[in-house]
Amino acid sequence: MDQAMRILVVDDERGIREGCRRILSAEGLVVEVAEHGREGLEKLRSLPFDLLLVDLMMPVMGGIEMMENVRTYDPEIILIVITGFATVESAVDAMKHGAYDYVSKPFTPDQLLAVVNRGLETRRLRLQAKRLTEERDQKLLEVANETSKLHTIVNSLAEGILVFNQERQLVLWNPAVARMLNFAGLSKAGRDMGEIIHQRELLDVISKAFSPDAARYTVQTEEVELRSPEPRTIMVSLSSVKDESGRELGVVSLLRDITASKEIDQIKSRFVTMVAHELRTPLAAIEGYLSAYLSGAAGTDPIVNRNMLERAKARSHSLLEMVGDLLHLVKLQSARVVRKKEPLDVTAVIRETVELLKGQGDEKGLRIRVSLPKSLPLVEADRSEMEHLFTNLVSNAIKYNEKNGNVSVTARARDHFIVIKVADTGIGVDQESLPHLFEEFYRVHDPKTRYTTGTGLGLSIAKKIVESHFGSIGVESEKGKGTTFTVKFPVKQR
Amino acid sequence: MERKKKILLVDDDVDFVDLNKAVLKNHGFEVLVAFSGKEGLDKVKFEEPDLIVLDLMLERHDTGFGFAQALKGDPRYSKIPILLLTAVAETTGYDFSQEIDGYWMKTDDYASKPLIPEELVKRITALLARAKEKG
Repeated sequence: MDQAMRILVVDDERGIREGCRRILSAEGLVVEVAEHGREGLEKLRSLPFDLLLVDLMMPVMGGIEMMENVRTYDPEIILIVITGFATVESAVDAMKHGAYDYVSKPFTPDQLLAVVNRGLETRRLRLQAKRLTEERDQKLLEVANETSKLHTIVNSLAEGILVFNQERQLVLWNPAVARMLNFAGLSKAGRDMGEIIHQRELLDVISKAFSPDAARYTVQTEEVELRSPEPRTIMVSLSSVKDESGRELGVVSLLRDITASKEIDQIKSRFVTMVAHELRTPLAAIEGYLSAYLSGAAGTDPIVNRNMLERAKARSHSLLEMVGDLLHLVKLQSARVVRKKEPLDVTAVIRETVELLKGQGDEKGLRIRVSLPKSLPLVEADRSEMEHLFTNLVSNAIKYNEKNGNVSVTARARDHFIVIKVADTGIGVDQESLPHLFEEFYRVHDPKTRYTTGTGLGLSIAKKIVESHFGSIGVESEKGKGTTFTVKFPVKQR
Repeated sequence: MERKKKILLVDDDVDFVDLNKAVLKNHGFEVLVAFSGKEGLDKVKFEEPDLIVLDLMLERHDTGFGFAQALKGDPRYSKIPILLLTAVAETTGYDFSQEIDGYWMKTDDYASKPLIPEELVKRITALLARAKEKG
């Protein structure tokens, strides 16, 4: 690092020039000489120097003039003047022009060295200071970049960040948390925690992190229900900030809005409750009937007892159907369903379905009429799902029909869709229940269908099948008159 | 001879109603049935049952709840003991302890389904006896 310092000696006296050169070179310094000011300036322009020894009294260009010129080039060079007569005025004058020091002729080698070394020491210190400043500036720039990088990252987070110091003053926050807690107007470093957070529940949770026991845990996580500005659930993760010696500096809290996933959890949990109820109910009936039969709790009438067994059997059957439907529903809801969709003409599926269910219809004396064109435009569909769909609609039309009633199944191509209608002259659905028909487990309470078993899932499955084929399903009904289901599917584009 | 006790069964499951009706009749009770809260309220008004057996998950929603609240809130009917039944005690979080839920559920007893008919008869008998004591 220590390159040899470079000195320029400018003096019209050869003796002084060479004398200085000898004395200073012996110290390991690099010495250049110049006879007069102009030469000296030329040398200064072409080479770097740390120190300039210049004679005050020189012809053509005096020392002072030269110094002035030098300073415009290199304001940091150490200037030492050689004075001919040690008067205060010339020394002071020289200092005014930027001289660092002076040495007066005649001087001994020691005197020269003393002055020059002082000058060089100062030079070294100045260079070092300059280097350190540059390094610091560089580091600050890096830090600023890092800081601004961090800043950008923190501000872009979807989660909210709140950092408080040990005195519970706000130290850092981001736009996400300002939105979440609605304190944008108050965000200012140094504000007390109580001013920033108005929600009592949240304040309590974060305050806990400041307590001495909190230090034991690395991260505490808690769910907080907020009521303002809107009802939401926030997951708060808190950790204590410590310095290298383990002393607590504050608390950093990360806030995440989990309202949506909580709602999904609630929906799932409601569904589970309903499933449990729908499975337990028929099982309770079955167990009840068998128990009463075996214990004779319902009396000794054989007809009553036999009927109980018939009912137990019917409920068992419907329970099996229920389990099947539930599995089907789960399959439909799962994202990984592999559908074997192929270009399909549904007329064949419809005809086969009606054929299979004809027997049931005959039992009730129903007339089933099918009106289909020779062929329909193809739709992109999974054959077994289509079978399931039409089976459900047609069997409903039969199940909820009156004796000697009618069922009609029609299909037409219309614009870019095929439209299929399944109509019955059955008991119909009241207007109040109509909007709920496609809900899971929904069954209309009609005295006429009290003993009709159904899972309550048929239509919700049908709807899911239709929608997964980008179609639509609708229903019209009049109580006592009948019901019509309309299904539309988009035609496969060539 | 003492008049037969009238039991009102309020439940939307037809087999529960049929089965327990048959068993209760066999045990000397008079049985009324209702398949919905509305129907139940009508029966209470017109028939004045001695005890009501009520399913919580009436019509899919816990409308059994509303029914119980309506009855207990009405001084004309609040004395009629209610035996509350539910198939889903765990998930609905109803603990059904008289201490915790008693005061706001305001039913006089509860049981979990499935409940075999003989057990139901026992519970009804006990509840009637308790009600009689209270006077």
